[in-house]
Amino acid sequence: MKLNTISTAALALAVAAPAFAADIEFWYGNGGRVEEAIQAHCEAFNASQDDHTITCVGQGGYEAGMQKAIAAYRSQQHPVMIQFFDAGTLDLMLSDAVVPVHTLFDDVDWSDYNTGAKGYYQTSTGELFSQPYNGSTLIFYANMDQLAEAGVTEMPETWEQVIETAQALKDNGHACPFVTDAHPWRVLEQFSARHGAPIASNNNGYTGLDAEYTFNQGIIAQHMVNLQNWRNEGLVRLAEDTEAGNYTRAFYAGECAMMEGSTGSYGAAFESLGEAVRISMAPMYDGVERKNTYIGGASIWVMKGHDDASIEAAKAFLDFVRQDDQQIAFTEATGYMPVTMSALNTLVASGRNEELVFATAEMGVESLNQPGTDATRGIRLGFYVQFRDIFKEETQKAFAGEQDMQAALDNAVARGNELLRRFEQTYQGVQLP
Amino acid sequence: MADTNSQFNSRWLPIALALPQLLLIFLFFYVPIYMAFFWSLSLERPFGGGAEFVGLQNYARVLNDAEFWKATWRTVVFMLIGSSLAVILPLILAVAADRRVRLAYPARNVLVWPKAVAGASIGVVFLFIFNPFIGILAPLNEVYPGLWQPGLDGTDAFIMLIIAHVWGGIPFNFVILLAGLQAVPQSFHHSAAMDGASAWRRVRDIQIPMVLPQLFLVFVLEFTESVTAAFGLIDAMTQGGPGGATTLLVYKIYVDGFKGYDLSGAATQSVILMVFVLSLAAVQFFILERKIRYER
Repeated sequence: MKLNTISTAALALAVAAPAFAADIEFWYGNGGRVEEAIQAHCEAFNASQDDHTITCVGQGGYEAGMQKAIAAYRSQQHPVMIQFFDAGTLDLMLSDAVVPVHTLFDDVDWSDYNTGAKGYYQTSTGELFSQPYNGSTLIFYANMDQLAEAGVTEMPETWEQVIETAQALKDNGHACPFVTDAHPWRVLEQFSARHGAPIASNNNGYTGLDAEYTFNQGIIAQHMVNLQNWRNEGLVRLAEDTEAGNYTRAFYAGECAMMEGSTGSYGAAFESLGEAVRISMAPMYDGVERKNTYIGGASIWVMKGHDDASIEAAKAFLDFVRQDDQQIAFTEATGYMPVTMSALNTLVASGRNEELVFATAEMGVESLNQPGTDATRGIRLGFYVQFRDIFKEETQKAFAGEQDMQAALDNAVARGNELLRRFEQTYQGVQLP
Repeated sequence: MADTNSQFNSRWLPIALALPQLLLIFLFFYVPIYMAFFWSLSLERPFGGGAEFVGLQNYARVLNDAEFWKATWRTVVFMLIGSSLAVILPLILAVAADRRVRLAYPARNVLVWPKAVAGASIGVVFLFIFNPFIGILAPLNEVYPGLWQPGLDGTDAFIMLIIAHVWGGIPFNFVILLAGLQAVPQSFHHSAAMDGASAWRRVRDIQIPMVLPQLFLVFVLEFTESVTAAFGLIDAMTQGGPGGATTLLVYKIYVDGFKGYDLSGAATQSVILMVFVLSLAAVQFFILERKIRYER
């Protein structure tokens, strides 16, 4: 009997000893420069300690990564961690396939994450479900050389000034004063956030799955109608109107003078236009108080169904990438922003924030940290990835003149609400965290 | 069958030989179809767990969805125009090539090569050719600004899609039809010519009736293929846009299932599409094929 106990204990020890070490997988979606920076994180993590080994696997896009994660989870082949983008937040929250990160740690100061990052990935009670990783937000870009040619020396700050400037550029013979791709992340979500006007009831879905879209009235609808009118007047161009066929490339190439774009575009813009590029927070309508913008980019989710050792390894990796110097290195390599205030403060304290590669870091975080309301925490709406396609489809028809903008928004609301109702039914009886 | 066939001594050998193929068809055709039927009757969560049985509710939803009918209508228009052009153009080319053109033999080989090009690659190439700023139609835009805008105008995008599809379909159909035409005995042509029949008359009364079996084959293949083969082209060229103008049913299923995580809706539409294609083929076989005589 005694012998038995000893051997059991020995066996337990033998099993427990290596149980701290684990080989785990992390799936991510980005390519290009961002992918290199993610791989650098993984290598640095493996080099920094001996217990765990992480293998980081690129999936060729956020959406492809999600599709593969779904298939992998269904066959129980899923990785321990997956990076996923903003729009799929609710789909993952309700999936019952992830472990909320706040439940894994006791010793992390989650309030250190900047407001925009926190709000988007938080539960309704303020706990982070996933760890913000690569964060971007929307800012305004202008080619000051071209503005100067039209006699404008000041950076426009309001939409009224943007259009005044566009008019001056047009009068000066400029074919493309302002360019946009009219993607909902830019013209709907970020616009609604900083103007404090929710796109759906229940604070954009934060307080219940029975939310309904509401953006077909008020300032958002007015902005969409304005965009269409401005395009008809030749002040605004769509990506498809440009020779480059892509709004960022049209700006980089000097074909267009102004754009709204992600902070992540700054590196490429500076590379092609040099000192002519100037940036500011995205424009507001006159008389509307500025609220925070949303975080773009992606966060890291920990998936269910793995042993304790794997979870320990995942925690170690999450701790590692949360470190200030790791965030700063990532910012330097990619143009994404630091996601914690301590990382930003370290950057500012070092004085390196004056360097060009960090030009968007402070401004982006400032934009994310503007005072917010309950309705500007983020988007918590089901099947939102598909809704973005619907919004694009309906507004494209309006821009092409097949229907008027109000009808397009009404249709998008109606079709979006059908998605929300089906989502509600699919997750019947599931409590919104 | 085995005991009546003297080539096989054991009745199990032919079954064993067919087994690998049967297994593959079972795994990659019947199992997915079963799953699609199953999912179309429930509300399936993307990550699994808690699928709710809803009976025919998904079918009711899909059949009441205006977007589904729009996509179906686009599919039918694409099928009729695209397939007809992809058969008629090769027929004209084949009749021309049949008239003892020099280099007809090497031309036949060279022409079939585009068949080996994947839809996505064709899409990329045609996207470049039809670019409104640098493509072949760019001069048109300089004369009439905004006339050709496949990125904004749904009709332009649809035309672009059909041209790319027809181009991809010409080679194979050409080879099949030319082979059929070459098999028409020369004596028929000679006697018709002696009777004073014009070239056009000979095409109408001798050549086309004689290649009806080949025409039937390429029509059946084109019709069924055009429903699904457009996927690669759409994904590479238009992603269903602009404004959904090129969202054929097969692309809508992909978007709903893989971008919208609506597995049940996508499964339901897959089942409907499958029934549609099967009935199309059935109609062709049971009604049209009876009018064709294969023996000469």
